Amino acid sequence: NTNGAGLGIDEEVEVTRRPRAPRVKLDENRLLSAAGIPKLRKKAKDHLKFKGKGHEYSDAARLLAFYQLWLDDLFPKARFLDALAMVEKAGHKKRMQAMRMEWINEGRPRSSVHEDS
Amino acid sequence: MELGDGRRDVVDPQVRAYVSSLVTALGGSGADEDGRYVLGDDALACLRDLKKWLKLYDEKANRLDVARCLAESNLVGGDLLQILAAWPENATDDRLKSKIALACLELLVPLTWPLEKNPNQMTVNHHRHIPFLEIAQLGYKCSIINFDGARILHTAVRCALPSMAQPLGDRSTRDEGIIKLVLYFLRNIAMIAPPSNVKYEGDEAEISRSATIDAFDYQDIFHLLLTVSSTMGEDFNTQDVVVMEVLFHLIKGVDIEKLFMDDEKAGNAKIDELVKLRNKEAAMLRSYQSNAPTRHNRFGTMVWLQRENAKMTTISGQGALTDSARGLAKMDSTKKYKPPRRALKGDNGPLDFDTPAPLTMQANKHLRAFVEDFLDAGFNPLFNHIRKAIDREAERILEYHPRQFFYLVAWFLEAERMRRKSKKPQKGKKPAVPEDIDSFALIASVLNQEMFITLNRAMNTSFENKSWQDLSAAMKCFTQILLTVQEMSESPLEDDQDIAENILNRIFYEEETHDRVANITRTYKDQGFGYLDSCTELAHNYLRILEQYSKQNVDLQVRSRRRVRRKKKAAKKAGEDDGNDDIDDSDGEDEARAEKTTSERKFDFKRFSARFLSQGCIDTFVTFTGYYNDLKPSQLKRSHRFFYRVAFKQEMSVMLFRVDIIALLYKMIKGPEGLDPSSSHFKEWDELVRQLLKKCTRKMQERPELVVEMLFSKTNGTAHYLEYGYEKQTVTTK
Repeated sequence: NTNGAGLGIDEEVEVTRRPRAPRVKLDENRLLSAAGIPKLRKKAKDHLKFKGKGHEYSDAARLLAFYQLWLDDLFPKARFLDALAMVEKAGHKKRMQAMRMEWINEGRPRSSVHEDS
Repeated sequence: MELGDGRRDVVDPQVRAYVSSLVTALGGSGADEDGRYVLGDDALACLRDLKKWLKLYDEKANRLDVARCLAESNLVGGDLLQILAAWPENATDDRLKSKIALACLELLVPLTWPLEKNPNQMTVNHHRHIPFLEIAQLGYKCSIINFDGARILHTAVRCALPSMAQPLGDRSTRDEGIIKLVLYFLRNIAMIAPPSNVKYEGDEAEISRSATIDAFDYQDIFHLLLTVSSTMGEDFNTQDVVVMEVLFHLIKGVDIEKLFMDDEKAGNAKIDELVKLRNKEAAMLRSYQSNAPTRHNRFGTMVWLQRENAKMTTISGQGALTDSARGLAKMDSTKKYKPPRRALKGDNGPLDFDTPAPLTMQANKHLRAFVEDFLDAGFNPLFNHIRKAIDREAERILEYHPRQFFYLVAWFLEAERMRRKSKKPQKGKKPAVPEDIDSFALIASVLNQEMFITLNRAMNTSFENKSWQDLSAAMKCFTQILLTVQEMSESPLEDDQDIAENILNRIFYEEETHDRVANITRTYKDQGFGYLDSCTELAHNYLRILEQYSKQNVDLQVRSRRRVRRKKKAAKKAGEDDGNDDIDDSDGEDEARAEKTTSERKFDFKRFSARFLSQGCIDTFVTFTGYYNDLKPSQLKRSHRFFYRVAFKQEMSVMLFRVDIIALLYKMIKGPEGLDPSSSHFKEWDELVRQLLKKCTRKMQERPELVVEMLFSKTNGTAHYLEYGYEKQTVTTK
């Protein structure tokens, strides 16, 4: 028993590790989901109103709050400026760019769309 | 060897024994000689042996053991300096004594040599000894420049005087070696400084830059530097880079504006600075106070923020009660997650030139006197010589020399401009006589075409090789050249005007340089603040100067044409008959031509400045502006002008409509931790931000799709569409 045969030291212990829960990311999938940019667009149509001349700073505060709350819902764990940087980065993805083009084209006057097609 | 407390000595005991017995045999001071230092019988041989130890053991085996032993046995302070001090001025001809002095110097130079930390070649020994030796070198420097009994640096120079007195052609290799030895000794002394990670335990004031400059002045080293640099190319040849290194380590980081203030003004400036800082602090405290809770910290307010779908967010603290913006800020600040971030690159080594080096009043005076003398006598010969050496890739040019060269040229050009400025008020009194006005000839050697080629090539290669510090130095140099040329074009001397116009003309049509400047600005990533500062400064001045040039009105053009013609006529009269005399056009033709060129230039400038409209350039300036609380007024002005140019001169404000940029601009004005409202630049920023925000909200109502695009970087195409509502034509004819 000097080498500890009976103690089970020599037996190999199998270590199984449960895979770690995938980290939540603010990527293009999340941005394109219903809670992402589609919601932003809808909300902007309904809620985003500005007072205009003479209220530049309060308007800007409202605008920033609007984005901040939307991002807090979409990706609660990151701070506002960090989340903005992530969104910006995701915007370089092919899929995002295609969608962005589409959204812009929706706003174009009808006639020019016809000309294009 | 096992020490008493069980630790092992880090150096081989035999080596230690040999070395310390040599140090002991060198000499010493005793009570019988009233404490004077007396040389040992075989001192010269001992010195030579020590040199051999350093060379054959340390250098060959790449260890630092001997250096460590010598540091521990206080060889420098206890022996070498004493020996040098005992070499009186009138005994210069004593052969033995001068030999011994030279031998001391031969030991001092390797001992003070900068310790390189190249991670690929470091052995265990390096890791073990370098921290110790770095501290020891600080001690060497301290005792060398503060030595009481004699002027050590001056004595060192005396060793080389006989060799320097010889004409260049007659010098032997040994003479050349001695001169080099002395210059390297000065370089080492100027270079030694506490490393960034080490706290020096002695008095920092004794080894500071100011102390070095004072010592250089007191010990007549500045005279030596002036002599060598002003006769570079005649009496000296290969010593140029060492002199340059000495200069670099003396002036890196010195604020030129402060250098050229006179005493009274400097005193006032110091008080002003104090007042300014107090105001800044007060403003900071005020902004904290307005956000601080009015009750004790356990008052326990809890606020609900009503969100859509009956969702609630709770925020604790009273701040949120009064102001929803503050509530949101609080909500944001409680979040813990931080995305991984890369550290900024930068240089903290001895070649770093971005860390400011404050000087005492005394040192300021000495350095200023030297700088003025150097500009008058040494600038052209030295820098011209080095530029040539760099161009032909001479063997002595090391990798870091171009960086030092460009930094020095930039620094001295700025110093020259500052000197002119500080001279000006006197001129106002009496009408300037043409002979009285200094021409720019004193600095002409860096304004020629060869210099432009060297500079362009350096900028190109360092940009391609990603050696950012080199690029930063080259950009500084380019900026200063531009500013000097601009000042030259306003000079009352016609020759200066001509040269300046020529240079500007060339720069204006060099597409390659345009591209490079725009590219550098566009690609800033994480090269550190010093680099960011240099590249925004270059972009700002480049744009500004070219814009001015493009605006040069018809009148000026006609005048310059007339001037050329007059000159040619004069030359003709003098008898020089050059073949091509197509200069006989009339005044009317002149005007038509001038009008054509000016309109062409305007178009060219428009095309050029459009290169700075890319998102990358804007991001660079946004990052720069992010440091707004630490920026000087001139730096803030730089980014203010850039944003103004983008939004209102070139009417692409859409490029600035991104949420993070808006958030930054909003924060600058409305806080918390915004710009100080009582500062001079606050007003113009307030105006700019207000106009931008107004434009932004209006645009968002006009084009709802901007809501999404506010989140992202925009390509020029989308930005153009958002701005004007139609696709950009391939050729703009505006």
